[in-house]
Amino acid sequence: MRALKQSGSSAGGSIANVMSEDCRQIDLELDGALSASPEARASWKVSEQVAAHLRKCERCRRLYRWLLDSTVPQEAVHALAETVKAKLKQSLTPVTPQSSPRVLAAQFLLVFLLFSAPMVGMMGTAGLHEMNLLQLVGIVTVLISGAALLSFSLAWQMSPGSLHRVPPRIAVIVLAVGLLAATAIIFPWQEPQFFLLRGWECLKAGLLMAAPYSLLFWVMVRRGHTLASGMLGASLGAIGGLLGAFVLQITCNRQDAVHLLVWHGGVVIVSLVLGVLVAWGVNGLLRPRA
Amino acid sequence: MQAERRAWESELSPLMVRYQQGDAAAVDELVQRLSSMLMQFLGAFGLSRADTEDLFQDCWIRIHGSRHTYRPAEPVLPWIFSIARHTRLDGYRRRRRRESREVLVASPPDLIASQTAEAPAADHQEFDRMLESLPESQREVIFMLKVTGMSLEEVARATSSTVGAIKQKAHRAYEKLRSVLEGERT
Repeated sequence: MRALKQSGSSAGGSIANVMSEDCRQIDLELDGALSASPEARASWKVSEQVAAHLRKCERCRRLYRWLLDSTVPQEAVHALAETVKAKLKQSLTPVTPQSSPRVLAAQFLLVFLLFSAPMVGMMGTAGLHEMNLLQLVGIVTVLISGAALLSFSLAWQMSPGSLHRVPPRIAVIVLAVGLLAATAIIFPWQEPQFFLLRGWECLKAGLLMAAPYSLLFWVMVRRGHTLASGMLGASLGAIGGLLGAFVLQITCNRQDAVHLLVWHGGVVIVSLVLGVLVAWGVNGLLRPRA
Repeated sequence: MQAERRAWESELSPLMVRYQQGDAAAVDELVQRLSSMLMQFLGAFGLSRADTEDLFQDCWIRIHGSRHTYRPAEPVLPWIFSIARHTRLDGYRRRRRRESREVLVASPPDLIASQTAEAPAADHQEFDRMLESLPESQREVIFMLKVTGMSLEEVARATSSTVGAIKQKAHRAYEKLRSVLEGERT
């Protein structure tokens, strides 16, 4: 109500004009009541001055009624609360609190780096020899930053009530746009040769890596409590795809912008979309039937 | 009252820690303290009493299953309300799916209307209608800010959003409420 009043007066609205000093007094008193604990609010009584004003001011009377309605009768909740208490106590065991989002993000990033190493070991380092120093530093920085961003996003998503410095949707968009933009800027644009044939090989290899790694990250995320399944699927698909793109970047000897944008970038995009679809599908299967 | 409110909130965190340690008395205390607020939140979006009670129980089961994700010293209400919010959203989707499969075989009896124990006052209905004019996401933000008394940052935590986004939603909700109030006065 305080903010409503401020909003009204700041915009020069007519609410502020029709409000008397008494209305402002009522607002202060109601704000105080709204800020009280539920128990205190249930037993809250208006002062004589406020009661007199409520009788003559319709605006304040409406706000007051709304406030009264927002207190649920205690007896209605009591029986249900007793049932809940009994249910919870049946399976009450000590639990260890989950690590902080920072520690969780570090774990994700560590897994990202550790698990890309054996793939690079198996597939070689041909890509490293095709890039100059600027390209190497530039693309590795973008890929690792993207992995760090997604690691934090996953950590926040598995910790209810944590403050998302970057919302999950924005993290995925920033990653996709950043990767594609960086590739387009720092790699040369050449006439592609064996575009489909070579590209398909890269896409297939990237997705084959992305799938098990997305699954691995999902196993890690399951330790927490995830809320929005579609967004989680997108983040898991994106980080798995990013790992595939990271390995391809080091192992693939085709380092021209078109190939990288379409086929390596495609690994991240396709994996992200598949992640969302799988999450929706799994969520639909696991959801209790009405 | 503000100080009392803060004191009430600060007592929740030690209770959550005891709950994580398996203390049955902490369960009693937490359920007792938070239930009316949760019922109020779950039922604030036009749900029937039965649906609200189902959601309420489902919500506590989820809170129980994910109690290890609460980190001591973090605010409790955003943690609770982020779970409650998703319980409500899942419940909404479940109801929508159920309703899409249901076929009306006969007109509902008039008795249902007359069974409503207390008909709300006319001006009260008007105010409810005014609040219903807000999109659900804005109504939710207004509820958390004004009824539960959470701060902007706490609401951002509960809704997996940013403080800026919450400020914007609250501002839009105030604007809309203000325009509805102005419209009704003229």
